[in-house]
Amino acid sequence: MDLAAAGTGWPDGQRILYKEETDMAAEIVVEISELLQKGRAKNVKNLVQEALDQGIDPKEILNDGLLAGMMVVGGKFKRNEVFVPEVLVAARAMNAGITLLEPKLVEVGNEPVGKAVVGTVKGDLHDIGKNLVVMMLKGAGFDVVDLGTDVEADVFIERAEEENADIICMSALLTTTMPYMQTVIDALQEKGLREKYIVMIGGAPVNDAFAKQIGADYYTPDAATAAETARRAVTDR
Amino acid sequence: MVERLYEIDKLKVLVKRESVFGALQCDETSPAYQEILEEYDAIIDEMMTLAQPVGILGIFSLSAETATDEFPEGTPVLYGVMSIGDGIRKCSTQAFQSGNYVRGMLCDAIADEALFSLEGRMVEKVREVCGKLGLGIRRRLEAPHDISMQVQYEAWQKLELEKRCHIHISEGFMYDPVKTFCQVFVVSENAEEFRAEHDCRKCKNTQCTRRNVPRSEIVVRRGTEERTIYAGEQESLLSVLIKEGYFIDPVCGGRGYCGKCGIQVVIGSAPVTAADEEKFLQDKLEAGWRLSCLLMPTEDMVIRIPEQEEEAFEVLSVHGSGGRQDNTDSIAGVKEIAIDLGTTTLVMELLDGVTGRIIDTAAAVNNQRRYGTDVISRIQASVDGKGQLLQETIRKDLIDGIETLLNRTGVSGEQVNRISIAGNTTMIHLLMGYDCSTLGVYPFTPVNIGLIRQTCSELLGDRAEGMEAEAWILPGISAYVGGDIAAGLLACDFDQSESICLMVDLGTNGEMALGNRERILVASTAAGPAFEGGNITCGMGSVAGAVCSVEIEGTDVKLGTIGDKPPTGICGTGVIETAAGLVRAGISDETGLFAEAYFDTGFPLGKNADGSLILFTQKDMREVQLAKAAVRAGIETLLLRYGIGKEQIDKIYLAGGFGYWLDCKKAVAIGMFPEELAGRIEAVGNSSLEGAVRMLREKDSIERLERILSVSEEISLAADQDFHAFYMDAMMFAVQDVT
Repeated sequence: MDLAAAGTGWPDGQRILYKEETDMAAEIVVEISELLQKGRAKNVKNLVQEALDQGIDPKEILNDGLLAGMMVVGGKFKRNEVFVPEVLVAARAMNAGITLLEPKLVEVGNEPVGKAVVGTVKGDLHDIGKNLVVMMLKGAGFDVVDLGTDVEADVFIERAEEENADIICMSALLTTTMPYMQTVIDALQEKGLREKYIVMIGGAPVNDAFAKQIGADYYTPDAATAAETARRAVTDR
Repeated sequence: MVERLYEIDKLKVLVKRESVFGALQCDETSPAYQEILEEYDAIIDEMMTLAQPVGILGIFSLSAETATDEFPEGTPVLYGVMSIGDGIRKCSTQAFQSGNYVRGMLCDAIADEALFSLEGRMVEKVREVCGKLGLGIRRRLEAPHDISMQVQYEAWQKLELEKRCHIHISEGFMYDPVKTFCQVFVVSENAEEFRAEHDCRKCKNTQCTRRNVPRSEIVVRRGTEERTIYAGEQESLLSVLIKEGYFIDPVCGGRGYCGKCGIQVVIGSAPVTAADEEKFLQDKLEAGWRLSCLLMPTEDMVIRIPEQEEEAFEVLSVHGSGGRQDNTDSIAGVKEIAIDLGTTTLVMELLDGVTGRIIDTAAAVNNQRRYGTDVISRIQASVDGKGQLLQETIRKDLIDGIETLLNRTGVSGEQVNRISIAGNTTMIHLLMGYDCSTLGVYPFTPVNIGLIRQTCSELLGDRAEGMEAEAWILPGISAYVGGDIAAGLLACDFDQSESICLMVDLGTNGEMALGNRERILVASTAAGPAFEGGNITCGMGSVAGAVCSVEIEGTDVKLGTIGDKPPTGICGTGVIETAAGLVRAGISDETGLFAEAYFDTGFPLGKNADGSLILFTQKDMREVQLAKAAVRAGIETLLLRYGIGKEQIDKIYLAGGFGYWLDCKKAVAIGMFPEELAGRIEAVGNSSLEGAVRMLREKDSIERLERILSVSEEISLAADQDFHAFYMDAMMFAVQDVT
């Protein structure tokens, strides 16, 4: 007997939806998504190549295979069904697939869902949280520019302008550095660019109230939520 | 207060895989475990070389900017800064950028673990400096919660971190390299006071994966002594007591079955559990008696624990050629002492220096047990700063044992001219006071495993002053295959044997050796403590009353116990016999799964004197499977690497007290040993002690040992693919008739 089915009843809404999708997507693409969820980087890579050889649209491989798989993993992570390690191996598998897929995506002129510049603010050198946000944003189909740590307000703005980004994501892990997020937002206001960008913030000392106080658009408590929120934010626009 | 700087020397970075995995919330049950493990193994060596630890400590005073309400300007403080450099962090960033998120996250977790591992040394240095200056530590302040982050800037300036350690500081007062921490200790004039340890209760970082909140302060009374310990969130009182060195040996592993961990709650509330009601009579319950294993303290309390009882161990000292002799030897003349220094017990024999005959034998508990029952927990205790205590404990045990022997026989200390000691590598490290930190982590490098020759006074410290007998410590093969096994190989004449033999020591480490005079392969398999009665619901050591033989016919059970005493628990041999019996009776299937009737309740073997059941549970069966599979897989792997078949093994020597009691047929029945070799198994008793005796008795024993060491080669099983394949196979039981 299938223990999962016996224990939890019929799968939740998301999985039912996913099942409908399987009727439409090519079998191999569904397999890619499933292997990605299990973190099988090598298998994912091989199957992406096989799918390309079969002539399947690279966009379909990306959206219905790699990104769909990542979305399932991200959702499970948010619901505490899986932990960081499972997300990491899945993201690594995703990266293996995307690396192979990228030239083909350029050929067919695939547009990413959006573009984000991400960095840890000036004075703060913590990068692990920011790195995880970059990872999950890529998994949600974003083109991501990683600005690194100790990033000045001017750099956030210049790079966002240069890259024609949709979103600016800022991270701060210290109470002494989080006020700098305000500095960045003030600088955006000053240049008359505040409305042009979606501003998202995160980090241990940051919360919703602080986001409202400094005039950021969104605060998210973890990387998976950040990616989901970012995706919703660009589609709502 | 004079401002002073102290470089923190003797820094050693230590990374424990379990802690790294713990920080990542990754255990064996995680679907990603294998992949994370592979990545970890691939990078850990390089990461260790990238960690460049530095540390500096200085005594200064708080400025107006950093003063708090509680601690005004001018308060004397110690600043301590530790760093592991930027190497690992750079690897992490790079890995993230190239999409190897697993590696990136692992590097970061390793870096954190490496950094935190320096904390113990810092606290030690603080203690040292305070000791020199006659000062104490009132509190440890953590920025930014207890004190402004600016304190990092002050410490950076005062400690000259830029110049001395190339540590930069950001505008937010954050250090670069990121993997650097700064601690502030408020100095006290009271040298008795020392509160330099991190106190999770006061820490505001509630998301920390290392958070361990000591929720309750427990005052422990025993006899006239009184001490305060702390119980953390969701921590049972028993586990805290064990951790704090109060030795309460829970036979059932802390599951509320055995009733051996009773304590009395003097002040504080402790709900009565069903198990308490079963184990204690009404008047005792009312007096506050509870099982400490099921008591999770949620408030401060005062408890009383019973005074420690000496345990009567049945220690096997009978071995091949010796045995207790009648006291026909003269008590005059030169004497010698051979010692088996075991993790659990010490056995020593007094020999006549001329005839080589055994005059008397003494055995005692290794009192280091209060710091942990297995070598891993001892290593841990040593690394946690208890090294000196462990050394003092074993020195005392050895001297007590020697004195017992001498007093009993009327031999004087001056007559003893030689002592030989055989022990596993960890026991020898602890005795010698060596640093154990590298024993517990890959690549498991011992400080010294060669032959050690010292006078007893050097080896055993002040109390042995004047005892000029020479002590020989037998050499070992590796961190996990030590002098006790080398001694056993000597005792079994491996260096002289043409035919190939196998020696297996069925202790927790499950060491084994296969070979002959030309070539010996050794390995240790983490068989676990099941064969010593550990981790078994009603398990116990080989003491009187332990079930050691079991026959099951239907639901009819026939038990035999050590000393024919009423049964009180199951020892290692009983565990094997029970497993064999259950499979044979069809109560367990070949996968080790119990029949439905016993799946939840366990199989009742008999009753204790107080009427409670002696159970063997489904979980116990799994423990046996893991242990026996480890042994069998170890044997198969050695055979494969040696390039021979099972039938080429001439003899299997079973070493240790455990082997002596074992019914070989039952061990074969559960698949621990190959069926083909059933008739070739021989119990050799305490071969480690026998080796130590030979060392004294036979002049050429050093050369013989050297030959054994020179032809021995260790196989590491932990990462061996074949071992893992054999291990899975060996987990099953063969359903067969053992008679």
